[in-house]
Order: sequence, then structure tokens, then C-alpha cells
Amino acid sequence: MWINMGPQHPMTHGLWNLRVKVDGETIVDAQPEVGYLHRGIEKLCEGKTYPQIIPLADRLCYGSSLTWSHLYCMAVEDLMNVEVPERAEYIRVLTIEMQRIVSHLMWLAAYAGDLGLGVGFVYTMREREVFLDLFQALTGARITYNFPRIGGVAHDLPPNFERDTLRAISYFEGRLKEYEDLFEGSKIFMMRNVGVGILKKEDAINMGVTGPTLRASGVSYDLRKDRPYSVYEEMNFNVVTHKDCDCYARYRVRMDEMWESCQIMKQALKKMPKGKVRIVSPRNAPVGTGLARVEDPRGEGMMYIVGDGTDKPYRVKIRSPIFVTVSAAPKILIGYKVADVVAIMGGLDMCIGETDR
Amino acid sequence: MAERGRSDQKEDMEKAPSRIDAVPEEKLIRALMNAFPEAITGFTKLKEGFVRAKLDRREIAKACKYLRDELGFEHLSMISAVEYDDRFEIVYHITSYQNKLLLELITRTPKDDPSVDSVSSIWGGANWQERESYDLMGIMFNGHPNLERILLPKDYTFHPLRKDFKG
Repeated sequence: MWINMGPQHPMTHGLWNLRVKVDGETIVDAQPEVGYLHRGIEKLCEGKTYPQIIPLADRLCYGSSLTWSHLYCMAVEDLMNVEVPERAEYIRVLTIEMQRIVSHLMWLAAYAGDLGLGVGFVYTMREREVFLDLFQALTGARITYNFPRIGGVAHDLPPNFERDTLRAISYFEGRLKEYEDLFEGSKIFMMRNVGVGILKKEDAINMGVTGPTLRASGVSYDLRKDRPYSVYEEMNFNVVTHKDCDCYARYRVRMDEMWESCQIMKQALKKMPKGKVRIVSPRNAPVGTGLARVEDPRGEGMMYIVGDGTDKPYRVKIRSPIFVTVSAAPKILIGYKVADVVAIMGGLDMCIGETDR
Repeated sequence: MAERGRSDQKEDMEKAPSRIDAVPEEKLIRALMNAFPEAITGFTKLKEGFVRAKLDRREIAKACKYLRDELGFEHLSMISAVEYDDRFEIVYHITSYQNKLLLELITRTPKDDPSVDSVSSIWGGANWQERESYDLMGIMFNGHPNLERILLPKDYTFHPLRKDFKG
């Protein structure tokens, strides 16, 4: 029997549909269906000038909008051969790591709610607020920031930003330990996580799964370390991997990544040089292609931009990590019970905005 | 449930991948040139660890299989289709986790026959990306197990990313 979980279902977190074929309680086949939120962003980009696309790129993912506008700016800089001032690079690293924490916290809140740990939702959302306040001080917005620019960032850090960020980090590091007690001390949370949703290493690699899900399957690949962009080369941090391949491993990887993000933010603040934060970029792009890859909180984000000499891109192609990851969902789901769907799909951290584009 | 997952995982993790240890750019170019002397042209080293090559579209499946099995390119990052005035270009970005290389394979198809062989049997992750290219750009992937629209409704008759489509 086929069951439709979605497009309106407490498990989905966005508009998408998971069809599962069940034999009794056991899943024997699964079919994710996406496309409900398709806005044609790639086509929209072709009608806009290069700077006009930055706020549009923010709308790709409501969970981590800054990484997408940053990725877009990096791709255009590659196309235009623009050098970014060093201070701007440090500000970018600082903000995208903050964005990673915000995104992971939103995932953790949703995940806790899914798995019947309602109190987890409240706590993680409270800590997310601390970082959103910092973003508001920096950019004036809380979700879609429109902060990176082609050739730098929009403006310098506001007064006392460094102090406030360090305060937020030390507050948050203490809270992270509390979360571990809260989540891992909960029997229900552990029972629904440990040993559920095994994604083997070979399957993960073959299906193109990236990001925390890949690292939770034991593959040590993180673009920040393996193909460093921006100033990640200067940063000292660990690539978090786990070899259990289950939902618990994915939870663990994200928790440890938040810790590593805190360390990167502290280093970025410490090493940040003085200077300009933005240079004037050309209006028209040359004929050619630009490519950028970043380690999005959800996986490998890529943009491929073709320029034709005008002030508008000829073609923009966006690689969404979750679009590829969710196509591996049947591989993970088959063999488990219907009740495990919530834990498994929640553990992948779906974001429909970037999936459907 | 907890037992099942853990028991069969142990072995997989221990097994280290046994392919060529290090394939720097020059070695990769040489290996590809030897294997496909006529099909692959126009090598460019764009950056450290980033190589671009052009490939005849008839050889795409064979070349991709060779890349995965012999040269350790185990991850297909992205398939993009671009429409030009006289041709379609299908661009494959292929990553090697072990060697930290990125290969950009460009293949061309004529305007009246936009089709290439599917690589979804080589990389499972190509499945949906090829469906997306078919859906939005109308590229046919021969041998694809389920070439259907993915983002747009099934009854649409147009491919919106083509330049002659005006929303």
C-alpha cells in the first residue's frame, strides 16, 4: 500500500511529498516528490543584473540564506576576476559560520519537536535568537540578510559587534553542553535515533550525498578543509566525522559542527585585519564561466554562472545539496518502520527553498 | 533495530579505498589522454586542483565509468545544461574525494538532437540531476531509468530554461 506523507504533514517541514510503500509497518519502497515550491529562480536570474540577484539568492534557503548569497557573490567574483579585500573575507567567514550555527539550531529545534522532545524546540530557538539579534545588528534583517556584495560585503561591523559576538559565543558554548545532556539524557530521543536510518558509506558517496549526512557516514570531506575558499586556510578547526552512519551520527556531527563553528568565529574575530570591506566591481561580466563551491550547512552548494559580456548573466545553474540528498532517501528508508520516517527524514535537514529553487 | 545497523557496518569502514593514491592534475590529464585519445580535447588547468576538458558526447558514459573506476572520481557534483545559439552544452562537475580534484567535463550536442547517454547507472546521484536537466532544459538522457519531469507538473509541454521560452 502506498501512503502519502505530505505535502501537508507534520514531518515534512515545507511543501514536499514522501510516498512510502508499506508492507504492514515496514517500508518496502519510497518515492520523494519535490517541486511544490519551484519558483524558477534560475530563469529569474537571467532577467536581472548581477547585483540584483544577491537578494534573490538569499531566498534560496530560508534556513541559511547568507551562505547562498555568499556563494553567488563568489561565483560572480570568479567570473569577473574580482579580488575581495582581506577584511571582507574575514567578515564573510565570521557571518557564514554564525549562519551555520543558526541553521543547525533551527534543524535541532525541528528535529527535537519531531521526536517528541518539545522542550528541545524551546531551548534551541531561544539560543538561535541570540545570533539572530547579532545578525540584526549587523545587517538589519533576521532571516534574509542581503549582506555580501560582489567584491566584498555591504558594510563594516557595527560598534561593539566583536564584544557582543564573543559574549554570545561563550554563552552558547555553555548551552551546547546543556543540550547534550538534554537530548542524550532523553531515553525516547536516543531510542528513536540510535541504529535508525543507516546510510552506508558507499551508498552515501554514490548517491551524491554531501554535508553532515556524508560525514556522519564516515567520509571525511569538508570543502572548508579540502578545497578551502575565502580565508578558511587560516582557520584551525576539525572536520567532524562519525562512523555510525545512523540518525544519531547525523545529530552528533551537527552538534560538534556548531562547536567548531564557534572556534572558527573566535579565530576570525582575532585575526581580522583592518582595511577596506568592499571594492567597486565591474558592471558587466566578461564572456566566460564562473564557478564557486561552498560547504553549506546542508552540504555542497555550487553555482555555475555563464556570462555573455552584458550586465545580466546568460545562465545561472544552482546545485542544491538537499535536492541530491533527498534522492537517496529510498536507500535509507527501506527496511525501517513507518514510525522511523520522521527521524530519518528529519535527520537529513530538508530545506525546500533550495531544493525546488 | 540497533543491532542490525551496527553489525554490518564494521567491515565497510575498515576497508580503505584502493585506487590510485594521488592523481594530480598532470597525471589525470595524461591518463585521460591515453584512454580516450580522440574523444577528449581542450584540457585547461583552471586553478589548483581544477581541470577542464571537452568530451565527445558519444563517449560520455564510457569516460565517466573510467573516471569513477580507474581514477577515483566517486562523486558527481553537478550536471548543468546551457543553451547557446548553435548548440547545447552539458557540463559535468566531477569530484574526487581522495585526490581533492575537480574535473569539469563539457560535452556538446546539436540543437536538433539534444541527447547524451545517462550516467545515472555510474553515479546514483546523477538520477535526479538528469531529470532536472530534462525538465527545465529538455535534454534527453539515453538509458535513464525514469526520465520524467521533477520540478514542474507532468503535463507541461515546455522547457522553461530554453531561451525561446518567454514566461
